[in-house]
Amino acid sequence: MAEASRRSWRAGTGPGRVLVGVYAFFALAAGARAGWQIATRLSEAPVAYLLSAVAATVYLVAAVALARPGRRARTLALACCTFELIGVLTVGTVSLALPEALPRATVWSTYGIGYGFVPLVLPVLGLLWLRRARPTPRPATSAG
Amino acid sequence: MVDGLATAIIVTSLLVAAVSGVMALRGHPPRVGQLAGLVVVELVLLAQAVTATGRMFTGDRPDQLATFVGYLLTALLIPPLAALLGWSERTRWGSVIVAVACLVVPVMVVRLQQVWHG
Repeated sequence: MAEASRRSWRAGTGPGRVLVGVYAFFALAAGARAGWQIATRLSEAPVAYLLSAVAATVYLVAAVALARPGRRARTLALACCTFELIGVLTVGTVSLALPEALPRATVWSTYGIGYGFVPLVLPVLGLLWLRRARPTPRPATSAG
Repeated sequence: MVDGLATAIIVTSLLVAAVSGVMALRGHPPRVGQLAGLVVVELVLLAQAVTATGRMFTGDRPDQLATFVGYLLTALLIPPLAALLGWSERTRWGSVIVAVACLVVPVMVVRLQQVWHG
């Protein structure tokens, strides 16, 4: 029973592990780019580059949170996916409405068009998967 | 960049993606053959990285050097990441991981070519 409950809280298996991989890839791709830009030419577009760094960090945290079992990891993963969805929608809208605010492209510009709109789809898939992989309510004895 | 190597990476990678896709549809986890495919993709990627780096030192470098190096390093890390995650997932989703990774590698290689040729 305990084993079953542990497994049901684990979002990073099955389809979840595909998400972990895609998140890890995005953390890598966005992180490498943002790291270089911040190190070499932060003054050109500080907001855009720092935003890319934030996005990369959230992707990394999401990958780790999805891969780890347990309720707290799941909550963290939910928070990351929600943050990403709000981020990509906000930054995407700002980049279209006020292009001068973000003179350099970020991962989330125009809803992630530079990355095949995956940044827009990914948090939605993450939230859907976390919803499906929700731990089933168990008797108080098997809590923890 | 050597275009012949780029083509070799794209073809090998798409082949591994196709096999993994079929395996996933049939409900099989990744097998040794798919891992071997990932190793081949990685080796050709490494050959490409070494020649591209060599050429960069002899003056034939892309305009957007940072973008190129970033893409190259990311591309090199995809097959190992896919092997680790795919092998640890002993369900059809392990094959999905390998398939997705092997679809991403050709995209990265095409982007690398675009950046290299400016």
